Amino acid sequence: MEKVFEVKDLRFTYKKNRIEAVKGISFEVRKGEIFGLLGPSGAGKSTTQKILTKLFKDYHGEIMYLGKDLQSYSNDYYEELGVGFELPVHFSKLTGLENMKFFSQLYRNKNDIDDLLKKVGLYEDRNRMVAEYSKGMKMRLNFVRALLNNPKLLFLDEVTNGLDPKNARIIKDLIREFKEAGGTVFLSTHLMNDVEELCDRVAFIRGGEIVEISTPRELKIRYGKRELKVEYFDNGKTKEAIFELDGIGKNQAFLELINTHEIETMHSGETSLDDIFIEVTGEVGNV
Amino acid sequence: MSNFGLLFKGEMVRLLKYKIIQISFAMTLIWLLVIFLIGSEQAATFVPIFIFTDAALMTVLLVGASLFYEKQENTLKTLMITPSGLMAIISSKVLSAIYLALQSTIIIALFSMILFDVEIRFFWLISFVVVIAFTHTAIGYTFSVFAKDFNELIAQVGMYMIFFAMPTLFYALGVFSEAFETVLMFSPTHSALLMINYAFEADVRGILLLIGTIYLMVAPIFLFKYIIIPKYPETAVKD
Repeated sequence: MEKVFEVKDLRFTYKKNRIEAVKGISFEVRKGEIFGLLGPSGAGKSTTQKILTKLFKDYHGEIMYLGKDLQSYSNDYYEELGVGFELPVHFSKLTGLENMKFFSQLYRNKNDIDDLLKKVGLYEDRNRMVAEYSKGMKMRLNFVRALLNNPKLLFLDEVTNGLDPKNARIIKDLIREFKEAGGTVFLSTHLMNDVEELCDRVAFIRGGEIVEISTPRELKIRYGKRELKVEYFDNGKTKEAIFELDGIGKNQAFLELINTHEIETMHSGETSLDDIFIEVTGEVGNV
Repeated sequence: MSNFGLLFKGEMVRLLKYKIIQISFAMTLIWLLVIFLIGSEQAATFVPIFIFTDAALMTVLLVGASLFYEKQENTLKTLMITPSGLMAIISSKVLSAIYLALQSTIIIALFSMILFDVEIRFFWLISFVVVIAFTHTAIGYTFSVFAKDFNELIAQVGMYMIFFAMPTLFYALGVFSEAFETVLMFSPTHSALLMINYAFEADVRGILLLIGTIYLMVAPIFLFKYIIIPKYPETAVKD
């Protein structure tokens, strides 16, 4: 599959405090995938995103974008890029529509603003000043802002932060729609349910280093236990039994249990991404 | 610089929406009222000081404050990920600051000319105000890129007023002797006042006017090249 980004031994040190925020990370982002960069606050997610969006230029290492050195791209790079920031990025005394019209005219490629506003449920409020918007509305407007230039590549930072489940669903559906249309997404987050639903591959970053990189499914299998937990009724009480997953079809104790008892629940020992997050980063994520 | 026109138009729209133009106009009206009250004899002395205050000191404060406000709204950051380019972004902001300085200068100057027959070298006044506003925009930006928060910015502007603007104002009001003027040439505000005084046909030493003009043309280029442009992205992107 074509590589959108190929990052090798990327390092970045903040000049002011001389803290090395990114310590030699390597990864690739493939065309048409949703790649998640996961980690706790201060792990280096945002710094990495700022480097890839050319906001930070004094990095060491190699970043290839579509096979060419990222440094060699002019400002036209931004024609292909949409960035959804973690915090609202609007002029508060302009209306939602005025904000979008202003930013839209700075690009050659243009998306249909009305259509985008309708999709995120902000069309009715388009003529209200952004200062009057709730945080959730501002975050939805952030997402519209990211799509204004019909980008090929989306950078999203904590994109569902502050959204209620209904609006978070709308945004996640739009991200999937973007991917299905051939777009590539680079998602930074610490919200594991977003990752479960959206990401094709994920990298966990801790202290500026990538400590794990794979697909969510492969990680869940690798970090999970190869076992099956069965809850069953026995003499009016709920009991549980745990069996090895390997050779379960020939496990006589298991076969007898399911033939002789009423089964209440059955779960494989597959772990959640939240557990993996805690294990590999040493911090508690938000599910 | 392909988006410069659009960015400048955006800046002007926001100056209106954020009521900066209206506030600046209200300030100008206050100056006009004061000029009207002090009468024709004093007008020739005070009008240059009012214009100097507007073009120099108000510009520093306005530019610094507006950059901070935009930083708070994260709009500096989102502009940086458009194809506009840093030079176009900064230039549009500088030009809008110069526009504000020119707006009040022209109104005050015309009012003084019409009402009190104050003699003005109009071409030089406009040209010098452009240079003065450009320099003080650079000073305002320099403070902004170094200030950690708004309080620090206000403190920096306050220090600038005390060490650079106040001596110039005292000199203009005759508190300091002429011998002190050579020392004052280190202050951009003093050069600014000299230039405005010249535009009002005051007796200004040619060599000092020349030095002051060159100083105010070179200093902002230095500030933009070595301080503001390198540090602006960091200021814009910082969360």
